[in-house]
Amino acid sequence: MTTARSSSGLLAALALLLVLAAPALGADDDLERRMREVASGLRCPVCQNLSVAESTSELARDMRALILDQLRAGKTPEEIRAYFVSKYGPWILLSPPARGIGLLVWLLPALAAVLALGGALLALRRWARRPARAPAGADPAALEHVRALVAGEGAAGTLEPEETALVETLRELEFDHRAGKLSAGDYAELRDLYERRAAEALARAEEARRAAAAAPPPAAAAPPPSRRAWRWATVAVGLFVFGVVSGYFLTRAVRLRSDGGSITGDFLTGTPESAMPRSAAALSSRDVGTLLSAGHEAIVRQDYQTAMTAFTRVLEIDPGEPTANAYKGLLLHRGGHSERALAAFDLALTREPTLAPALWGKGLVLYEALGRPEEAVRVWQTLLALKIADEDRKHVERLVAEARAKPAKTSTPAPPR
Amino acid sequence: MAWRRLVLVFLVGVPLVAVLAYGFTRDPREIPSPLIGRPAPPFSIELMDGRPVSLADLRGKVVFLNFWASWCPPCRAEARDLEAAWRQHRGEDVVFLGVNIQDTETGARGFLREFDITYANGIDARNRIAIDYGVWGIPETFFIDRTGRITYKHVGALGTGTIHAKLAEAREGVASNREGKGDYRSVQ
Repeated sequence: MTTARSSSGLLAALALLLVLAAPALGADDDLERRMREVASGLRCPVCQNLSVAESTSELARDMRALILDQLRAGKTPEEIRAYFVSKYGPWILLSPPARGIGLLVWLLPALAAVLALGGALLALRRWARRPARAPAGADPAALEHVRALVAGEGAAGTLEPEETALVETLRELEFDHRAGKLSAGDYAELRDLYERRAAEALARAEEARRAAAAAPPPAAAAPPPSRRAWRWATVAVGLFVFGVVSGYFLTRAVRLRSDGGSITGDFLTGTPESAMPRSAAALSSRDVGTLLSAGHEAIVRQDYQTAMTAFTRVLEIDPGEPTANAYKGLLLHRGGHSERALAAFDLALTREPTLAPALWGKGLVLYEALGRPEEAVRVWQTLLALKIADEDRKHVERLVAEARAKPAKTSTPAPPR
Repeated sequence: MAWRRLVLVFLVGVPLVAVLAYGFTRDPREIPSPLIGRPAPPFSIELMDGRPVSLADLRGKVVFLNFWASWCPPCRAEARDLEAAWRQHRGEDVVFLGVNIQDTETGARGFLREFDITYANGIDARNRIAIDYGVWGIPETFFIDRTGRITYKHVGALGTGTIHAKLAEAREGVASNREGKGDYRSVQ
């Protein structure tokens, strides 16, 4: 009975605690975001091809801590970047300044793109112009002959096999066109092609039959009609657009968003990054802020094991850290270790006597687990004297009223729900 | 027609290959320092024996500032030369100062004992001094003249010859144009 009440009360407590701690954490998150912004523009001196934000090297970690300190001291991102440039030179910037030799890096790709586009346009124009002088290949008389053959007039018996096949193909084409299987454009194009071939074949046969020594007609392979050139142009433009689009989106989508984060973030999976567990990298950090926010995120995910690890790590670095102690207390209370929880809250309150989560949790332990409602009420009154959100105030006031209604002797104050 | 195409290929190909070949001759890890000839970034550090020292206190003396770690082989290679140079120059207006970075205290103390190092050393636990000096490879040594200006920087192991020469230059306040380079290890 007690545990049921206790755990449901604890969930409410955790929710409240998150709300109470929200403003401070919001500020921390903002600072962290600005730090990452600066760090992601700096090249890590150890690993060369990673930014300071992404690198797990010791130097990059210390650089991130330095950036955080400088941001806290009120330095602007520009000033911090300038600081790093004054130490490591412009080498440290991932995007080189558009000055001096660095200008080349900015201009060359654009120049190359312009040249490539110009070249492609020239080639396309040459292509498109070619068919204009082409159709002179076939002899009009031979064409007439072919058309007559297709229509079924004229002597088919004298034809060579090649010519017969071509005439057959032309008939099939016409049939397909009538049956609606071929569009008018395709039909016209194909018909022209085969008619010309057939005409050429006829002319060749004619000449061979006459056994004349005259040179065969310049059989320049049927030049592609202009329609084909445009098809190529469409393909080329399409490929170019595809390259640009994938270049743009891939570089945006695939990069490390945070320590140990996914390289695609929520871009492909649809899972928001905040919902993804931080890896062991965050937990092995020695930065109190990083550890605290990792613990926080773990609580939001209800991954209390990881949360406990994170807060314990903070307390290894700084045994008196108030926020970590408060959270540890709540997690201990949840696990039923009331005395240790109380000790943790007291430790938090010695460093910071008005820490809302600690006050809230201490009251909760006293009231729910230890059956000391008067003391709980006193602690909560301290909390009510602070500036807290209206909703939280109502919640605490209700609990105070509930606790006052209970006689102090009852060791299990909670009624079953 | 054919020779024109050949000339075109050469015009494009030769510079391209030349640029690539030049790239291969360079050390991609090298970060040219903008600090030579500039005032040395101020710092203070707690020495191994607990005494604090700050760079500002050393104004008027030539400072030999060496970043090192006990795990780095080139640091071991130069350690005896550094100590020999210090014993030769101690008593003059020269201060040798070692800054241990990216190391454990036991490792650092063991190193100092092993090479019987008698000049001052301190630990820069958070790499703040190292970042301030733009350190990227160790050992890294800075020569600072009497006015607090960096006259020379050397990445990698130093020999006694270079140490004496560069100390003499720093005494005169002569800044080198280029930094020196030897066998080094990238920082972690």
